[in-house]
Amino acid sequence: MSAQTPSHQHLVRNVAIALAAALLLLWTVFPFFWILLTSLKGPGDMLSVPPKFVFSPTLDNYAALVMGEQRGQYSSTRPDFPLFFLNSIIISVGAVALSIVAGIPAAYALARFDFPLKSGLAFVLMSFRFVPFIAFVIPLYLLYQRLGLYNTHAGLIFAYQLITLPFTIWMLRSFFQEIPLEIQEAAKIDGCSWLGVLTKVILPLSMPGISVTVILGFIFCWNAFNYPLMLAGRQTFPVTVGAIQFISYEQVLWGQMAAATIVAALPQLVLSLMVQKYIVRGLTMGAVK
Amino acid sequence: MNVQRRWINRLLLSSPLAMGGALCARAQDDAALAYYREAKINWKQADGQSLTIGLNKHPFTESLLPLIPEFRRLTGINVEYLILPEAEYFTKLVADLSQQRGEFSVIMTGPMRNWQYVPPDWILPLDGFLNNAKLTDPNWFKLDDFYPALIKANRWDGKTGGGVGEGPLYSIPVLAETYILAYRKDLFDQYNIKVPTTLEEMAEAAALVKKNAGIPGIVARGTPSVASMGTGFLSGLKSYTDGQWSEFDGKMNANFHDPRSVKYTELWINMVRDSGPPNWANMQWYDAMEAFTAGQAGMIADADFFAANYEDPKKSKVAGKVGYALIPPGPGGKTYSGLWTWALGISKATKNKDAAWLFVQWATAQRTLLNATLGYRNYNPSRQSITNDPRVQEIMGSWGNGSYLKVLAKNLETARVAWTPQPERTRLGDIWARALHEVYFKRLSAADALKKASVEMDKVLKEAGIK
Amino acid sequence: MNTAQRRHHWRREAFLPYLLLAPALVLLAGMIYPFALGSYYSLTSYWLQYPKRFRFVWFDNYVNLVTEPLFASALEFTLGFTVAAVALQVGLGLAIALFLHGRIPGRGAIRALMLLPLMMPPVITALMWKIMMASTNAGILNHMLSFVGVDPINWFGSTGGAVASILIIDTWGNLPFVALILLGGLQALPNEPYEAARVDGAGTLAVLRYVTLPLLSPFIVLVVLFRTMDSLRIFDVIYATTLGGPNDATTNLHIMAYQYSFQWFQMGKGMAQAIVLLLIVVICSYLLMRLWNRASESTQ
Repeated sequence: MSAQTPSHQHLVRNVAIALAAALLLLWTVFPFFWILLTSLKGPGDMLSVPPKFVFSPTLDNYAALVMGEQRGQYSSTRPDFPLFFLNSIIISVGAVALSIVAGIPAAYALARFDFPLKSGLAFVLMSFRFVPFIAFVIPLYLLYQRLGLYNTHAGLIFAYQLITLPFTIWMLRSFFQEIPLEIQEAAKIDGCSWLGVLTKVILPLSMPGISVTVILGFIFCWNAFNYPLMLAGRQTFPVTVGAIQFISYEQVLWGQMAAATIVAALPQLVLSLMVQKYIVRGLTMGAVK
Repeated sequence: MNVQRRWINRLLLSSPLAMGGALCARAQDDAALAYYREAKINWKQADGQSLTIGLNKHPFTESLLPLIPEFRRLTGINVEYLILPEAEYFTKLVADLSQQRGEFSVIMTGPMRNWQYVPPDWILPLDGFLNNAKLTDPNWFKLDDFYPALIKANRWDGKTGGGVGEGPLYSIPVLAETYILAYRKDLFDQYNIKVPTTLEEMAEAAALVKKNAGIPGIVARGTPSVASMGTGFLSGLKSYTDGQWSEFDGKMNANFHDPRSVKYTELWINMVRDSGPPNWANMQWYDAMEAFTAGQAGMIADADFFAANYEDPKKSKVAGKVGYALIPPGPGGKTYSGLWTWALGISKATKNKDAAWLFVQWATAQRTLLNATLGYRNYNPSRQSITNDPRVQEIMGSWGNGSYLKVLAKNLETARVAWTPQPERTRLGDIWARALHEVYFKRLSAADALKKASVEMDKVLKEAGIK
Repeated sequence: MNTAQRRHHWRREAFLPYLLLAPALVLLAGMIYPFALGSYYSLTSYWLQYPKRFRFVWFDNYVNLVTEPLFASALEFTLGFTVAAVALQVGLGLAIALFLHGRIPGRGAIRALMLLPLMMPPVITALMWKIMMASTNAGILNHMLSFVGVDPINWFGSTGGAVASILIIDTWGNLPFVALILLGGLQALPNEPYEAARVDGAGTLAVLRYVTLPLLSPFIVLVVLFRTMDSLRIFDVIYATTLGGPNDATTNLHIMAYQYSFQWFQMGKGMAQAIVLLLIVVICSYLLMRLWNRASESTQ
C-alpha cells in the first residue's frame, strides 16, 4: 500500500492540484456560463425538466431587451432596458464626476496638511463605507418627495455621493501620499503655490491613481441597487433595478432577465479587467496597496 | 387549435381595432377617434392641460401606452406616465398620495387598496363626474355595461368593518379577477381522480396525483406576504365556512383563531405540506402559475385568468389538458370566491380633475377595453359587452373545452370582495401569512399560530387608531 | 517623519485645508442632514398613512423593540449570519490563497477570473443564483448535484435551505475578495522567517501555524473587518431572493427595517431599527479597527 514511488506521489499530487484548480474555476465561472445559456433560450426550453444544455439558441431575449418585443411572443413588453442602461451611465458618470471634483482638493488636504480634526474627519469618511443604507434612504426618501428630487438624476447623483465620495477621498489620499514629499518641496522652492503644487505636481504624477479611482467609482455606482430602488422611478431606474423588473402581472420573463443580467454585468467585467491590479486596493479604500 | 389561434391573431392585427404599436395609419386613426366622438361631450374642454398617470406593470397598461397619442389628439391633454411592478408601485403610490403633491393624477387601484386611500381623504369619489352631463355622456359610456358586482366592489361608504357596495364609487374597473380551481384533466382521467367538491377531496386528489404522477398534487402561493392570502386560500376559507367566517368579530377584534379558521388552516397546510411542492414557502404567484404551466402540478387554486397562460401552446406544456372548476364549496354547497378588480381612480391632490376624469372615461370606454382584451390579453373583461364579443368568446371559449367560461359565469354569481374593509389589510395579511409559515414549519400548532397572529393584529389596529 | 518641520512654510495658509475640504464638507453635510432628520423621526410615531397621529414618543420605538418578537429573531440572524459568513469566507479564502500561492499552472488566469464575481452587482449575482436554484425543478444546481448522488435541495423553500442559499450566494461574490487580499499578503511576506523555520526543520503545518498565520494576521484582521461590516448589513441578496422568508428565517435587521418603513410605512419604527443596526455596525467596526491597529503594529 505505502510502497508508492516518489514519482507516483508526484503524479497524485499534480492530479489533486489540477482537480482543485478545475473545481475553483468551475465554481467561479459556471454561474456566468449558465446565465449566458439561459439568456439564449426560448420560452419552451426555459422551464424544461431536467434543464437543457443543448437547444437551438435564439437572440430573441436580447432583441426584446432592445426593441421591447419578443417575436411572436410577448408582443407587449415595452423596451425600458435601453433607458435603464442610459440612466446607469448618466448617474454613475455624474456621481463620479462630482466626487472627483470635490474629492481631489479634500484628498490633497488630508494627504499634505496637518490640521485639527484631521484624523476624526478621515474616520467619519471611512465610516460611510459601512453604513446600512436604510438609515439614510428613509429620510432621503421623505425629503426627496418634498423637494421634488425623487425620481430625478440629480437626486440620485447626490445620494450616490454616499458611495463614491468617501471612497474617492480615501483612494486619492493614498495615491497622493505615495508621491515623495521631496518633489513637492522642490516645486515650492521653484515658487509654486499650493495650487501650483496640486496642478503641476500632484495631479500629473497621480494620473494613473485618479483613473483607477474613477473607474472603480464608476463600477461601485453601477453596482448600486438599494438607493435607486427607493429613490428612482421608471424614468431614472438604473440597470440593477431594471433587472428585477422582468416580473410582470402575468409572467416572469426569465430569459429576458438573464439577458439583462448579462448586459448589466458586461461593462463591469470589462472595466474590472482593466483595473485588476487595483481592485483590492479600491475595495479596502486604499488600506491594502 | 394552434393554427386557428394564429389565424385569429392575424385577423385581429389587420383589423382597425388592434391599434397596438405599428398600425397607426391616419385613416384608421380617424376611424378610431370617431367612436369616441360619438359621445355627446366636448372632449377638448381640457385642451392643453397635463396629467401624470401612475400605472402598475400589467397587460392593461401595455394596451394603453400605444393609444396615448390618440388620446392626445382627441382631447389635447398631455399625458405622462410612470409604470412600476406591483410591489414598488404601491409603495410609491402611498408615498406620493401621503405628501399630497399630486404627482399622480390618475392611479391604478382597486377595492382593497381604496380602503387605504379613502380614510385619509387621498382619492376622489367619481359619482360627481359620472353625473355631470358636461363631462360624461352616460348613454355612450354605459356604466351598466360593467358587471354590477365589479362596480359594487369599487364602492365603499368609508366605514371600517363594512360598507362595500355602498357609498361613493372610487374607481372604474378595467378587469375582473376571481378564483377558481384549475386541474390537470388528463391526469385526473388517467388515474381516475375525481374533481374535488370539498376541501377534504381536494387534499385526497392532490395526494393521488402526487402518488401516481410523481409531481406535486397542488401548487399555491406561499411567500410570507399578503399576496399569498387573498386568492385561493381566502376563497377556500370563505367557502369552507359557507361565507360565515370573517376576519373580525363585531367589535373589530381579529378573529383569525376562530376554530373553523383553525381547522381549515390545518387541512390546507397539511395538503400543501404533504402533496405540494417542496418550495411552497417561497412561491410567488408566478412560481405557482409557472409550475402549473410547465406541467409540474396537478392543481392550482388561484386567479381564473391565469388560464390565458395555461392555454397558450407556445409556452405551456399543458395547453388543452386543463379542466376548470369552482373552488370546493363548504357544507352549504356554495362557493364564495374572492374578487379583485384593477381599476382607475383619481388622486385628490391633482390639479386638473376634469382632464383626469376624461382620461379615466376614455381608458375604460368599451372600445379601449376591447382592444386591451383582444390585443393584450387583458382578462377577464370588466364589461359584459366585451365578454360577449364573438372574438373574445372564441378565445376564452376554447379554454378547457368551454368549461372555463361556464365556471367563470357561475363564479361571478357569488364572487365578491372577500376581505373586510379596513386600512391595514396589507399589514394584517402579512401577519397572517407569517402565521401560516409557523404552522407549515411545525413551529406552532395552527391554533397557537393563529391566536398569536390575532393578538399581533389587534395591537396594530389599536396603534393605527382603527379600533 | 519631519512633516512638522516642513509644515511651517505654509503656516500662513492655515485656513487652506478647510478651504480645500469645503466642497466635500458641503456634500458631507448634505448627507448628514437627512440622517439627523431620520434620527429625529426615530423618536416619533411617524406613520405615512396616519399623518394626524404623528407625535413625539421619545424612545418608545427603541424600547418597544424588546417586546417585538421579530426583532429578536432578526438580531439573531444578523449576528449568526455574520459569524457564519465571515468564518466560511475567511477559512475558504485562506485555503484558496495558500493554494494559489503555490506554483499552480494557470494562476494568473484563475486570479483574473476570480475578479469577475467580485465586481458583479450583488443584486445581479443574486438573480443569477436564483435562476440556478430555480424554484421549479428546472434548477441546474439540483440537477448537477443529482449526478453526484445528492437529493434535490429545497433551496428557498425551507428555512435551512434559504439560509444556506444566502450564505452560498454571498460567498460566491465575496470569497475572491478574501482570497485576493490574503494572496497579496502572502506574496508580500518576508523570506527570512521561512528560511529560519526550514533550518529548524519545521513541517508544513508548523510553518503555517507558527510563521505564516502570525505574519499574515494584519491581513486576516483586515478581511475580517471588511467582511463583518458587509455581512452585518447584507440587503441586496436577501431582497432579490427570499425577502426575509420563509418563516422569517432570513430576516435580518436591514430587511426588517425595510419592511417596517417601506411595506408598512411606519417610518418612525423603521428608522429606529435602522439606527440600532447602525450602532451595532459602529461598535463592531470600532472593535475590529482597534484589533487591526494592534495587529499591524505587532508585525511591524
